[in-house]
Amino acid sequence: MARVSGPPPIEVRGLRKVFRQTTTGQSVVAIDRLDLTISPREVVAIVGQTGCGKSTFFDLMIGLEAPSEGFIHIGGKNPHADFDYFRGKIATVFQQDRLLPWRSALDNARLPLELIGLSEEEQRERALAWLKRLGLGHFTNAYPHELSGGMRQRVAIARAFAVEPNILLADEAFGHLDEVTAAELRETFLKLARECGSTAILITHQLEEAISVGDRIVVFGKSAQLLADIHVKQWEKSKYLLLREAIQSTLQNNRADPRLAILH
Amino acid sequence: MTTELGESVPVLAFPRQTFVSLLVFAVVWEALSHLAPYLGIPAFAIPSFARIAKSIATITPIDIVVTLARVIAALIVSFVLGLALALAMYRSDSLDKYLHPMVRLLMAVPVVSWILFAVLWFPGVEFRIGFVLVVVCGPVFLVDTLDAMRGVPRELRQMMRSFRPTTWQYFYKLLLPAIVPTVFTSWKINISLAIRVVTIAELVGAVTGIGHQLSVAQELFSVADVFAWTLVLVALLFLLEAMVARVEARVLRWRA
Repeated sequence: MARVSGPPPIEVRGLRKVFRQTTTGQSVVAIDRLDLTISPREVVAIVGQTGCGKSTFFDLMIGLEAPSEGFIHIGGKNPHADFDYFRGKIATVFQQDRLLPWRSALDNARLPLELIGLSEEEQRERALAWLKRLGLGHFTNAYPHELSGGMRQRVAIARAFAVEPNILLADEAFGHLDEVTAAELRETFLKLARECGSTAILITHQLEEAISVGDRIVVFGKSAQLLADIHVKQWEKSKYLLLREAIQSTLQNNRADPRLAILH
Repeated sequence: MTTELGESVPVLAFPRQTFVSLLVFAVVWEALSHLAPYLGIPAFAIPSFARIAKSIATITPIDIVVTLARVIAALIVSFVLGLALALAMYRSDSLDKYLHPMVRLLMAVPVVSWILFAVLWFPGVEFRIGFVLVVVCGPVFLVDTLDAMRGVPRELRQMMRSFRPTTWQYFYKLLLPAIVPTVFTSWKINISLAIRVVTIAELVGAVTGIGHQLSVAQELFSVADVFAWTLVLVALLFLLEAMVARVEARVLRWRA
């Protein structure tokens, strides 16, 4: 299932995004000069407090928004300016499943395959295979309202993986589920991402999720200021509790906790 | 099927209240038709059901077919135009700003004014009727579908865009299916509107159709004929609505 060529590196340089508030006319800096490099096949968890610019970064990564300054380059291409180039190369899992209610589980899973123009038969085969891998083989004809929250999110994951993307983005994808389902889906997501050889970027506010999933944890402060860039593998598992506390302290004080530099 | 209180309700319950109210109306009408001469009302003003049945027996199916064809053709044209303009206005803010006041203006013009304009502007009867129906029903389709497109949840629009569809794919795979429930509601409203408007439009100059037959009945002072044709109109409306409801139930079976 893994690609031969592999995903390209992601480079973020001097990224800045400013919004003008429609009511007051004032400018709000959502992201202020962010620099970040993500290597191919890395699983990066981005954590930060509410309103720190995580979701704006997500929209910029997908290419739905254009940066005010700076750039995001994925393999040298810009996800906003070269929007169509990334069709079938970037896939997303959102906080809510965002399934189309008029489509069955199978038809939802094959939506991105329709958009990239695969044949009807290939769409069905691939979507069905992914639904089966996610344990939904018996629910392919079910409509979203007939499925539980966890099952709907599984369909959303199948939909994202169906195109076997280079880059996988997940925005608080498991945060609304109960802990057992969330842990199970997190594990499945990670396993599939590794099997596919995709670079995965997960945005989360849950530190346990970030630590359990990420190869790296990037901690955003206000306006997506890069407070810490933690390589989780360098930490012994026995120190994960301390790591959690250090990240927590970093978020609370909006500056890197010194323990992050010395404890691993 | 059960109510919120858990009571069991038969799926095909006999519509007792409807039956009783219609029966009461029929009995009062029939009684009045016999009592009319004693009440100083002309006998023709309230015909008995026997007389109305005679009128129904003389109804000409061709007039029903013609009216039905006019309604369906005009609704299809109105829908296509309304949807196309709604899509154009959805895509272009400036077009929306120019067209929106015009649409509001069209919707504020009374049907009678449109009929008079049609009579003065167009010589052809069919075109006049079609024009009046389209100009009355088209804006309703336009406003409803445009509102529905704008009402597609931001989350679904963002999800769809994240997969990078072409403009056509975005319309065909997201917008169009998302507005289908509103389209059905709009069709039901417009069928009722079109049936009423076509009758008035056919009163002016048409030599076929239910409106024309109503006009003839009025000239002959035949309340029985008016009653009979009105019953046909109501039955036609119910039939069309039932057909749309049936298609709606099939197409929207994905709804809980």
